[in-house]
Amino acid sequence: MTDEREREHEPEHDPIEPLRRLRPDELQDAATNDPWILAQERDRLMSMIEHLPVEPKTAWRAPAIYPRLGYQDERAAIEFLTRAFGFRERVEARMDGGDHVLAWLEYGDGVVMIGHVEHEMHNINSPREIGGATCMLNVTVEDVDAHHDRAVAAGARITMELNDAFYGERRYEADDLEGNRWHFGEPLDSVKRRRGSD
Amino acid sequence: MVEPPTDAADAADAEVIAASVDDGRAFATIYDRHAGVVFRFLVRRVGRDVADELLGDTFRIAFERRRSFDLDRPSARPWLYGIATNLVARHRRSEGRRLRAVGRLAAERSTDGDDERVAAVVDAGERWPAVVAAIADLPAGERDALLLYAWEELSYEEIGTALDIPVGTVRSRINRARRRLRELAEANGQERIAT
Repeated sequence: MTDEREREHEPEHDPIEPLRRLRPDELQDAATNDPWILAQERDRLMSMIEHLPVEPKTAWRAPAIYPRLGYQDERAAIEFLTRAFGFRERVEARMDGGDHVLAWLEYGDGVVMIGHVEHEMHNINSPREIGGATCMLNVTVEDVDAHHDRAVAAGARITMELNDAFYGERRYEADDLEGNRWHFGEPLDSVKRRRGSD
Repeated sequence: MVEPPTDAADAADAEVIAASVDDGRAFATIYDRHAGVVFRFLVRRVGRDVADELLGDTFRIAFERRRSFDLDRPSARPWLYGIATNLVARHRRSEGRRLRAVGRLAAERSTDGDDERVAAVVDAGERWPAVVAAIADLPAGERDALLLYAWEELSYEEIGTALDIPVGTVRSRINRARRRLRELAEANGQERIAT
């Protein structure tokens, strides 16, 4: 496709070049994908395909607060988080800039944005760079025992073994590849119900 | 949440679409691969609000027409661009608004700020109102081909697939648009010399 272009027109004399630079997202901040619109339309499409009732239009929207994590190797991080912790990437929303990617991972109604470390504009560091995490990420899961076993099988470093906490939660903690601490918990009454029905 | 069949991960679009004729759920893979690109294209052409609406329409239409997809083509992307372009055609007013908004933005950018991107558009920004008018005045088919080429970076062959026209027609449409833009640039240059 490029050789055709070069053969026909030297770029510097091509009057289409200025137009190329005037592409809307060259003028505004790069148009990021809207993962919620993309997710919502995906759900609607699949509902149509499977003849299921369409979810209300508000099914997907951005939570008021959601974190963006920076990794030195964000591709490895995405692979690990999906495999070990069962997060699902909104693959339709991934922004692939060649060197780096920006991705949205969801779990239940929660979402995290995963990207490369960014020191200029946003000051997002990896725990691996600065020698410690600055936050812990809390995730509520449906079956914390199964979740734990999956993480162990995937080689996650468990930093707190499964235990029943006094405040009514069964929990464990694990680090991801670059040292972010993830806390996984299930309410104890849910654990009881689950075990009762086994 | 519907998961696409796992063995679809490495299959070419054509295989996925062929599989989706019997099992519609396979079509999720087509969405996952191309929805982001199609969405950004629609935002460029008609702006954010209309793009939200047309994204879903594009893929619903694509799904309904999946049997007519030419399985000799490995990628579904030009085909999806074509469906999206047809939908844009029904929103000429939004498209015009979007072009004018981009024109204003270019003009603002060329008078203030000093980042690199600005420097790159200063020259074109000065004559942007005329460029906007020229693009808006192009016959729809020329504008579609031109913007698929300039903004989406499709090859002539891909544009031919998208618009369902022979490559020769793509070439002549883009060359006509090119001539018009060149005339415009030359006219502008002469004005500047004259003043």
